[in-house]
Amino acid sequence: MKITRTKAFKVFFTPIWESNPVSGQILGICSALAVTVQLKTAIVMSLALTFVLAFSNLSISLMRNLIPRNIRIIIELTVIATLVIFADQVLKAFLYDISKQLSIFVGLIITNCIILGRAETYALGNPPFLSLLDGIGNGLGYSQILITVAVLREILGAGKLFGFQVIPNAFYVAGYVNMGFMVLAPGAFIAIGLIVWVQKTVSKD
Amino acid sequence: MSSYLKSIIFAAVVTVICGSLLTLASTGLKEYQLKNIALDKQKNILKSVGLIHDKKPLSPDTIDKIYAENIKQVWVDLSGKIIPEQNKSQDDLPVYLYVIQNHIQSYIIPVDSRGLWGRILGYLSIKNDGTTVSGFTVYSHSETPGLGGEIEKDWFQKNFSGKKILDDRGNFVSVAIAKGLVRDKIHDSRQKNVVDGISGATLTGKFLSAGLKRTLIQYEPLSKKFRNNQIK
Repeated sequence: MKITRTKAFKVFFTPIWESNPVSGQILGICSALAVTVQLKTAIVMSLALTFVLAFSNLSISLMRNLIPRNIRIIIELTVIATLVIFADQVLKAFLYDISKQLSIFVGLIITNCIILGRAETYALGNPPFLSLLDGIGNGLGYSQILITVAVLREILGAGKLFGFQVIPNAFYVAGYVNMGFMVLAPGAFIAIGLIVWVQKTVSKD
Repeated sequence: MSSYLKSIIFAAVVTVICGSLLTLASTGLKEYQLKNIALDKQKNILKSVGLIHDKKPLSPDTIDKIYAENIKQVWVDLSGKIIPEQNKSQDDLPVYLYVIQNHIQSYIIPVDSRGLWGRILGYLSIKNDGTTVSGFTVYSHSETPGLGGEIEKDWFQKNFSGKKILDDRGNFVSVAIAKGLVRDKIHDSRQKNVVDGISGATLTGKFLSAGLKRTLIQYEPLSKKFRNNQIK
């Protein structure tokens, strides 16, 4: 059997493009607007979310036959909250400046619909390995949109990438002006809207 | 076993496991976090006197070095006298001095103010004339990002530099945050005591104005000494 036909492959790759959590299911928009002004914060946020999503899926899937149905949401949230606080503590210890810039948005990963959504719809009914792949796949799908939006916003809004000037000074001398609009949240809305449009058009064929 | 009992036991076990994992992580990482916080404070002190800027990231060692070369921590008593660390008593207030070749350039006051949602901690530095603010920084707050949270941004903080804590007649008035833009809302004669406010964050501004005033009153004896050239 070809690797592209296996279930694991499908579980991993569908959320990256076809049913992307952000551009396909329009979930997790709040953080996608808030942390995409700079590429650096977007990448750290993506890593944090992918970490939380992968391990929440894995641990919930491991416990899926034990969790009493009536308190399953509480248990899911406990696991997710633990992972988020852990990620936050690690960021505070090793990436303090970035964690200050991300401020409450790391803590708000707890309320990100993607995570609870994957736990409810996937991890509760599937074995651990597939759930882990599903978590990583969805995390990467989210990351891919976040990073695309952040690249657009940082280049157009500040003329920089990773904090380094990429638009040459000659442009500014010639009258080029940074697009201040892209630094604000509505700029991200438009960027995400365009991505959704492109994706829907491409995947229709 | 009834299903209720099973749920309660399961929840208890999960909570205990998660709780102990977090305790472990928190105690294990504490040392690194405290180091970061201390470094961040030093950075804010240096920023408030204009020795470093946000634009250029510096290594922890460089910051340590710049700090050690320029900044000295001392205490002041109620009469405004500067006291070295070993002689300090409980009522004395901490203050940082920016010193170049034994000459004090400015003094830096720790600010602890109420905000809308929590405490606002930062530094206000005043030049050696005892009147002119040279900078203001915030290193910890819990205001709403995008609204009150703007107090940690450069555009807000840089407005403080050059403002005065005295009015035209030389009376103490502190430095306050306007509701809106200074040039629209504040009378000409008071403009040098007020900085631009943040739209959508009137209350944060109000609390911070009050906090700055309270802090500056506490340090007024020291400021007076600087004004009368009693400290060099």
